[in-house]
Amino acid sequence: MSDPSEALASAKAAADRIVKVKRLNACLTPIKELRKSLVAQASVAHPSGVLYGMPVAVKDNICTLEFTTSCGSKILEGYRSPYEATAVAKLKAAGALIAGKTNCDEFGMGSSTEHSAYGRSLHPFDKTRVPGGSSGGSAALVAAGAVPAALGSETGGSVRQPASLCGVVGIKPTYGRVSRSGLVAFGSSLDQIGVLGRSVHDAARVLSVISGRDPRDSTCEERDSLRLPTVPESLQGFVIGVPKEYFPQDLDPAVRRASDRAIRLLRELGAAVREVSLPHTPYAVATYYIIAPAEASSNLARYDGARYGPRFNGSEDVRALYRTTRGEGFGPEVRRRVLVGTYVLSSGYYDAYYRKAQQMRALIAQDFRNVFDRGVDLLFTPTTPTPAFKAGEKLNDPVAMYLSDIFTVTANLAGLPAISLPIGRIKGLPIGGQLIGQAFLEDEMLEAAYALERAVPAGEEA
Amino acid sequence: MAGAWETVIGLETHVQLRTLSKMFCGCSTAFGAPPNTNVCPVCLGLPGALPVPNEQALKLAVRAALGVGCTVHPRSVFARKNYFYPDLPKGYQISQFEQPLATNGSLSYLSPDRGIATATIQRLHVEEDAGKSLHDRFPKQTAIDLNRCGVPLIEIVTGPDFRSPHEARSYLLTLKQVLEYAGISDCDMEKGSLRVDANVSVRRAGETALGTKTEVKNINSFAYVEKALTVERDRQIAVLEGGGTVAPQTMLYDSKTNSVRPQRSKEESHDYRYFPDPDLPPLVLTEEFIAEQQTLLPELPAKKRERFVEKYALSVTDAAVLTADRAVADYYEAVVHAGAEPKTAANWVMTEVLADAKDHGDGLRVPPGALANLIGLVRGGTVSHQAAKRVFAEVAERGGEPRNVAEALGVMQVGDAGVLARWVSEVLAAHPAEVTRYKTGETKLVQFFLGQVMKASRGKADPKLAQRVLEEKLAS
Amino acid sequence: MSVTHDEVRRIARLAELDVSDDALPLLAEQMSRILEYVAQINAVPASEAVKPFVPGPDAVRFRPDEVKPWPLAFGPAELAPAFRDGFFLVPKLGQFEDAGA
Repeated sequence: MSDPSEALASAKAAADRIVKVKRLNACLTPIKELRKSLVAQASVAHPSGVLYGMPVAVKDNICTLEFTTSCGSKILEGYRSPYEATAVAKLKAAGALIAGKTNCDEFGMGSSTEHSAYGRSLHPFDKTRVPGGSSGGSAALVAAGAVPAALGSETGGSVRQPASLCGVVGIKPTYGRVSRSGLVAFGSSLDQIGVLGRSVHDAARVLSVISGRDPRDSTCEERDSLRLPTVPESLQGFVIGVPKEYFPQDLDPAVRRASDRAIRLLRELGAAVREVSLPHTPYAVATYYIIAPAEASSNLARYDGARYGPRFNGSEDVRALYRTTRGEGFGPEVRRRVLVGTYVLSSGYYDAYYRKAQQMRALIAQDFRNVFDRGVDLLFTPTTPTPAFKAGEKLNDPVAMYLSDIFTVTANLAGLPAISLPIGRIKGLPIGGQLIGQAFLEDEMLEAAYALERAVPAGEEA
Repeated sequence: MAGAWETVIGLETHVQLRTLSKMFCGCSTAFGAPPNTNVCPVCLGLPGALPVPNEQALKLAVRAALGVGCTVHPRSVFARKNYFYPDLPKGYQISQFEQPLATNGSLSYLSPDRGIATATIQRLHVEEDAGKSLHDRFPKQTAIDLNRCGVPLIEIVTGPDFRSPHEARSYLLTLKQVLEYAGISDCDMEKGSLRVDANVSVRRAGETALGTKTEVKNINSFAYVEKALTVERDRQIAVLEGGGTVAPQTMLYDSKTNSVRPQRSKEESHDYRYFPDPDLPPLVLTEEFIAEQQTLLPELPAKKRERFVEKYALSVTDAAVLTADRAVADYYEAVVHAGAEPKTAANWVMTEVLADAKDHGDGLRVPPGALANLIGLVRGGTVSHQAAKRVFAEVAERGGEPRNVAEALGVMQVGDAGVLARWVSEVLAAHPAEVTRYKTGETKLVQFFLGQVMKASRGKADPKLAQRVLEEKLAS
Repeated sequence: MSVTHDEVRRIARLAELDVSDDALPLLAEQMSRILEYVAQINAVPASEAVKPFVPGPDAVRFRPDEVKPWPLAFGPAELAPAFRDGFFLVPKLGQFEDAGA
């Protein structure tokens, strides 16, 4: 694509495709506004950009100048950000078109997109099921073919998990690879903007554009943008570790079959595959569900109805304003996490919970380092313990929902890059497998992902 | 009554650092801008905005820490202090907690009761300021201005070292002086660039355990520091003498009524839930960074005072006056360097120069060299001290060389022996009766003759010399 | 590791979050469930303790002291739910006096 007429055609086509799947409730932007904006963007997009004319949807917790940023929450209903996220600015500088904001679990807290204040998003292949979360809207739109790529965000697996459930590619970069400026913070030491795409190539291209140094984010490393590798002929020379803790006795047999098939294919591609151990894995979910809510309780303290966003009652005094705004503006999952987070940071509990969790986190990160230091280049694991579950199935027990993150949270805790790609079907539903790479070595991870993607029969039953 | 009790006071001082931009964003720190005009996503606490620390703020903080004798830690950590308040947009303040920038310092000050006393500086850390809440601007509403939000601060915490409100005030003035000398801050309590909260408790004289302390806030000037602490101390003593116990609470000082009242709050004491700020990697300072700030520390007031006493043979009090302000100290030394006699120069600076600066608010108007010249003229008898003050005022207002100004004013004194002798002869010749009386023992009459000589010379005679010539002539 | 109703109320106050009386029992139950679950990290003995790991740069980078405000597409007045004469407005602090820490 190189001229405005093509970009305009792309813009209109994207709008049409998004309208067609509006039943999924994946896109939160009203269609009229979306169409108008896409057309306007197409006329000013940079023709020499590497993503010229490419429509990219953006998760609702990432600040854009176009459209509202409500983070799937009532407390930011109608909020328009006066600045845009660095990642979004980079997309635009590369000529991409911002194709609306996608539905998500409120503030990124959830694994099914059922915790959005704007209704749940539907799984593109089965409307009774969830697309995963928190980046469910982005995953659904990509899976439904409405956009080739979308930005999501990860704190505990919120890009990879929906990618697995919807049958698309989801990449989480190394922590510090992509600027968090403009990503509405949930768990600051875990958050990263990630990419969902139709293919490894599409997702990687977008990741490459949005990555790189940013003086506005102190946790973003001083590095050039991600370098994209070529598709390798074979995986000769790669050593791939398979951590036994990700293949517990009670793993769903179909998931096991799909994973085993993928591992066999990796071997056939020439990689050396060996079993390894990440012994502190069983504590990862617990560790995550202390650190993430703790940071969230502090990050969400700014939502009080005082300076932006809607107000909920609160005429008596300012404390009443805060309490009713936050009481009514936050949904039940956010409220639970804010309260748990406040609890684990509070005096008397800090040492037993938060400090302990940080130590456990260090042990989990150490597990990975030990394995990588012994000559392993990448790890392969299932992405999720099950394919897409039914809406409502896990809403009664918060911990049951948390356990769907069991294979993904470790990469967030250790700050490592990871990619999920479709590796098969289970009774028609997609299932993903993930590669976890070494810090800032996304290129090696992507090489292996390209090769696996080409080899694996993602549409076949496991 | 106060004699049976010992007062124990500790101070927490917040000082704004003299930087151009805020601690974590590029907004201006300039005072007095229209409300909410020096704001951005970071200091407004907008969703998604992240902090990036200001290098100069860290430099000044390190310099301040060195200036109060602290150990600067090469590695320290930013921490979030979580609480809700209208002027705190993020719902937390970025500060430091478990690993602060500096600890273990000390500052000597002059105590009225104990002579030179030493305050222990437990810690000095960096943090960001909050905005301003105005409760009386609109009815039933609080108005919030976030211009000040994010301005860099250092917090300096002493141990429970002060034994009287006067000591506390003395320490504060000394601290202010050190920070001003080092160029850290303008330490203006009225403008809010220096704020102080105090912890106050009392105990029976001789006891070692500390009594229950209260926190005193809302002290808005150095003068009020002493008043507020006195009022609170007296209140605590009255409570205890009445058989009650001191409740650990926060007291707000009201300068209008010179009283304290408890800060009404149904909340239990704040649980700030400090944790390391995940948006900011650790603060790591190289040896060079710290060493550079050490070299940028000027000679501090105490040292300068000691040096003045030694070098210029001044009294401790005079040296203290001259070194109170760094600009004045530098001025004084320039005057001496230009040739003035140190003690005379000291008197001139402490009286005429400082008075002029205060009255006209235009700084030290007479150039050091000019003052040195003027002092020379007085010492040489060319101008009387009285007349010199007039010359000084003239030079301050309209400039000029002192000698020329003295001539123009017609105050150049005559010290020429010949001319003086002529006047003396004239006067003695005109008053023979008095001469006789003088020679028979009424030596007091020399003043009368001197008066006549001054009259004859229309005030131009150098009175000291004239008196000598008179006495010589009368003796012969 | 049960959380009592009173504790939930106390935590909700700290977090400035209204919790209605009917929501309280379920919330307390769910919070207890979560806290029980996460408490399993205490299974790891203290001797295994290691320095905390936080991803990202090892040391913070400084920004030069320049007045370079981040340009906003629109100002506080357009953001604010209540704004007058250049000030954000909130209902006055009630029984809580000027606390500013």
